[in-house]
Amino acid sequence: MTEHDVDDIARDLIALGRTVDVPAPGPGLAAAVLDRLPEAPSAPAVTARARRRRIVVAVAVAVGLLALLATPPVRAAVSDWFGFGGVRVERGGNEAPASDVAPPGVPPSLSLTEAAATVDFPVSAPDALGDPDGVEVSDDRRMVSMSWDTDEEGVLRLDEFDATLDFSVVKVAPDVQHATVNGTDALWFDEPHEVALLEPDGTRVTHSARLAGHTLIWMTDGVTLRLEGDIEQHRAEEIAESAVAVD
Amino acid sequence: MVYTDSNEGGHPKLDTGPDDNELLARVRRGDRGAYAELVRRHAPMAMRTAALLGAGGEAEDMVQEAFVKAYAALDRFRPGAPFRPWLLRIVANETRNLHRASGRRAARERRSWELAERLLLTPAEDPVEVALSLERREALVRALAMLSPAHRQVVTCRYLLDLDEVESAAVLGWPRGTVKSRLHRALARLREVLDADPQQAPAREAAHDD
Repeated sequence: MTEHDVDDIARDLIALGRTVDVPAPGPGLAAAVLDRLPEAPSAPAVTARARRRRIVVAVAVAVGLLALLATPPVRAAVSDWFGFGGVRVERGGNEAPASDVAPPGVPPSLSLTEAAATVDFPVSAPDALGDPDGVEVSDDRRMVSMSWDTDEEGVLRLDEFDATLDFSVVKVAPDVQHATVNGTDALWFDEPHEVALLEPDGTRVTHSARLAGHTLIWMTDGVTLRLEGDIEQHRAEEIAESAVAVD
Repeated sequence: MVYTDSNEGGHPKLDTGPDDNELLARVRRGDRGAYAELVRRHAPMAMRTAALLGAGGEAEDMVQEAFVKAYAALDRFRPGAPFRPWLLRIVANETRNLHRASGRRAARERRSWELAERLLLTPAEDPVEVALSLERREALVRALAMLSPAHRQVVTCRYLLDLDEVESAAVLGWPRGTVKSRLHRALARLREVLDADPQQAPAREAAHDD
């Protein structure tokens, strides 16, 4: 028999919150905040633009270095490519349909903790999404994948792999944009594009190629994370910034 | 500019509404005083959010940091959207990052709860507030301690901070459906724990009646 009604519990929790003794903000708070704001009123927009410009340069430098140091099996059809934390981005046109492409969900097979114990790199998961509905580790233990089946955003999928590996993933995209996650460079793919897994020797894993929708790629602690789903860039960045290490 | 706030659920939104958006428009035109006004208006709720999410003595630092970051991120803020949940979201993220040095996620979450728990067990010294007996307060806090961190977060936003569901979703960065389902499960769990609590008044009275 139930002694408590959830409505009573909710009412008492609100009362509990109201009677908590939280210190009032100090009188100097607003002044302290103003002191720390950049001088120029339009500063936020300017710094964001400057940041983007710096990233373009950084990517250009990375392309130059890779061209000098690496001798990857460049495919004849590709005019230009660059590497980003184990992701090989090839610029190429595609005739992908303009509609949104939902990523494949991950079947529930492992817990996050089990997956983290199986691979040699630190696994993290975004707080913003809660516990994933499915988690799996690839057969070669190079990649951890997880997905969430959400009411409002459909299937969201996150793949993680060691960023120091040569290349694990290839993406052929007509365009790529620069993004930031926790102040570090990231890549945003707004258009549907082709994504495929690569063998350690750089050849494509057969059957792995598929179309991907909106995707954000960023790096944390030497790990590359790839978030895909029907979401906008700012939401993807928000989710990315909520990632914390799995115990 | 006329901006009408949809007054969901009939709750008066005393500290949001048209003025926030007007102030933000002035901030975008370079009026720093308008930003100071936004700080003064939202700082008390930002302090409550930081404190109840476990900022302890660092609550004011978290709030200051959040206002500075919010200003720098104003180009990512959608004009016309409510400012308060967006700001509280940044406060919540700052507070979560505060305990980074405590190590792994479980340790950080434990630390946050210890600080929030201490606060919840100390009522404001206001003789007018007699809505909650000390016994009931302690039982609620014991029950909250039994929740998973995600369930505790959603209860903190929706009830302890008295945000609505849409605001809670924005602050936690979860889809609204997730807020609903976790809230539902969290309340069911709280009821279970409270029913099993031998020191809880309703259970004892029921035993007397038998």
